[in-house]
Amino acid sequence: MKNLFWIGVILSMLVIPGCKKTEEATAFGDFSLKVKHEVEGEALKTDALIYTNAAGNRYMVTEIQWFISDIQLIKEDGEALGITQNVDENIFYIDTDIEETHTINSSYPIPSGNYSGIHFTFGLDKEANKSHRFVNPPESFMFWPEYLGGGYHYMKLNGKWINETGAIEPFNFHLGIGQEYDEGGKSGYDLFEFGDRGHYQHCDGYMPPQKLNSVTAFIHNNFSLKLPLNFTIKTGEPVEIDLIMNIEKWFYGYKVYDHDVWGGAIMQQQEAMDIACRNGVEAFSLRSEK
Amino acid sequence: MSAKSFILKTLLAFTISLFLTGCSNDKPAFPDEPGYKPTPYEIEIPYAFPTKLNIPNDNPMTEEGVALGRFLFYDGRLSGRTHPDSLMSCSTCHIQENNFEPGIDHPVFEGGFVHGLTGQQTHHVVLPLVNLVWNHSGYGWNGGIYKNNDNPNFRTIEDFVRIAVMASDEMDGDTNQVKALFQSLDGYPELFYKAFGSQQITFNNIEKAIAQFVRTFVSAEAKIDRYLRGEEQLSQPELNGFILFTTEEGADCFHCHGGFGNPLFTTHLFYNNGKDTVFDDLADRFAITGDIMDKGVYKAPTLRNISLGGPYMHDGRFETLDEVIDFYSHHLQVSEQVDPLMHHLLRGGVQLTPNEKADLKAFISTLHDENFLKNPAYSKPKKFPDEP
Repeated sequence: MKNLFWIGVILSMLVIPGCKKTEEATAFGDFSLKVKHEVEGEALKTDALIYTNAAGNRYMVTEIQWFISDIQLIKEDGEALGITQNVDENIFYIDTDIEETHTINSSYPIPSGNYSGIHFTFGLDKEANKSHRFVNPPESFMFWPEYLGGGYHYMKLNGKWINETGAIEPFNFHLGIGQEYDEGGKSGYDLFEFGDRGHYQHCDGYMPPQKLNSVTAFIHNNFSLKLPLNFTIKTGEPVEIDLIMNIEKWFYGYKVYDHDVWGGAIMQQQEAMDIACRNGVEAFSLRSEK
Repeated sequence: MSAKSFILKTLLAFTISLFLTGCSNDKPAFPDEPGYKPTPYEIEIPYAFPTKLNIPNDNPMTEEGVALGRFLFYDGRLSGRTHPDSLMSCSTCHIQENNFEPGIDHPVFEGGFVHGLTGQQTHHVVLPLVNLVWNHSGYGWNGGIYKNNDNPNFRTIEDFVRIAVMASDEMDGDTNQVKALFQSLDGYPELFYKAFGSQQITFNNIEKAIAQFVRTFVSAEAKIDRYLRGEEQLSQPELNGFILFTTEEGADCFHCHGGFGNPLFTTHLFYNNGKDTVFDDLADRFAITGDIMDKGVYKAPTLRNISLGGPYMHDGRFETLDEVIDFYSHHLQVSEQVDPLMHHLLRGGVQLTPNEKADLKAFISTLHDENFLKNPAYSKPKKFPDEP
């Protein structure tokens, strides 16, 4: 009888913690982020010359292709949970022309509980932005040339605007690693050749620097955001949060961005990319239906 | 037999039956005939190339399939005829030493414009057969042959083989006649057995074999490849050209034609590159998508071995690379459909100086892959199966 008593004690010690563990293990839920591209609160309509930015440029967007990375869900106590178990997989390509890229699902069940916001990086940070990380398209088509810093475009936002002469002009609002150039030096060409060719004059008084001179520094223009939003993850109740890119906000906030000033291509104009990225920190917001 | 012995024997029998069942699932991909066992063909992925290959599930590559495809690719009887004036094969227009294009100095196809056995000229000029196993976005200048096409007969390289045989501006053939002819030729039925497990020749298996062979065409040994792998330095003019190639303020070729991060030197995607203001070609990208913005839109072809690619553009309007570079430098035409990537449009082009043009051309010459053009594995067989 005494033995039976001790066997009972030992069994209950084994079983009770086990039950508790089982209860915790079931407390998970599913999470997904729905990426939306909007202008002034309305869904983006591509190939339509119907928008006007803060500088007064009438413009259209043909496509947007971009990377979001390091997505983390912030718990009430401040703990951050990556949306993927493997950090290297926490990079997502989004393309307005590819519907399936507009949904980002957590790669594992997320612990139940109250959350207070979402953190992410626009583009890729310095550590992640390595050439040949992606060898397959469409991600590989986002490569950023080695001469300009390598890695990948953070974003290609392509479109057209009506320029100051009234003509429709293409623009490539491409963001990635910026460069500083050796204005006094030269690489493969004599300066007089640039004189012959002529600089691209984007507006009165502004001349882009010598773009084929030696690059003296690379600047990582990516930025990270922590956006507040209260939501609760529960078992059996999948949570969907909208991540909205408010396109018009790329063009004002820190400074007004004027296509007539910066022209059709900015991959080699760090000043333009800097303004764009500083504006860009206000270009994202979260929305929950619940 | 004791109860214990009975249980053990039953378990043993059950285990053996499980094992045998497992073995019976391990069938060859082509179960037609006993003893048939083809050798899988592995495509080696070159440095920085994509790892995802476009190989249909119903046509896995095998050594035997590729070997058969090589014969068929070069055999003029693919037209279904035997008269010397009526012979035509894939290789009639896709010539290895010309990057599997006809070449602008072709002795029969004047200026590189090909015509079929009926004398009818093809609608567009010939595209090269290079690194097609990495093309996921559609074959042909308008991409009309693509994986998710609603019409299942217009999806793959296999389909392109049938189209080429039947088209009046190519072989103008009859697939029944073609398969019957090859069935009658000594040696071929045995090769079909080795490749597909049946001596009964079907046109479907003819398509499959040729497609397998074409998928082996890999160009990845040009000077640029050795440079990207860190094995060989480019010259200063070539480096200058590479910078021009990959910068927006230079020639900005890379957005459509690749570079360090995309060594295919094409996106295989479709663009209006500012050639025209009026679009009257009934076989442009618009013909496939119905999107008005796809008027005058065509595939950006690979620039590998592009110096051999004349005449250039979908309609072969330019004879030389110099003309092409001049076009992108100074002669862009404005239209609503021009791709936004052509951001130099209103200046007429990228405005390269003569020295810059020379440097850009020097860089483009580094995409010339002599190993590809002379690879014996892609060459014409010394003799066909029915030849002694």
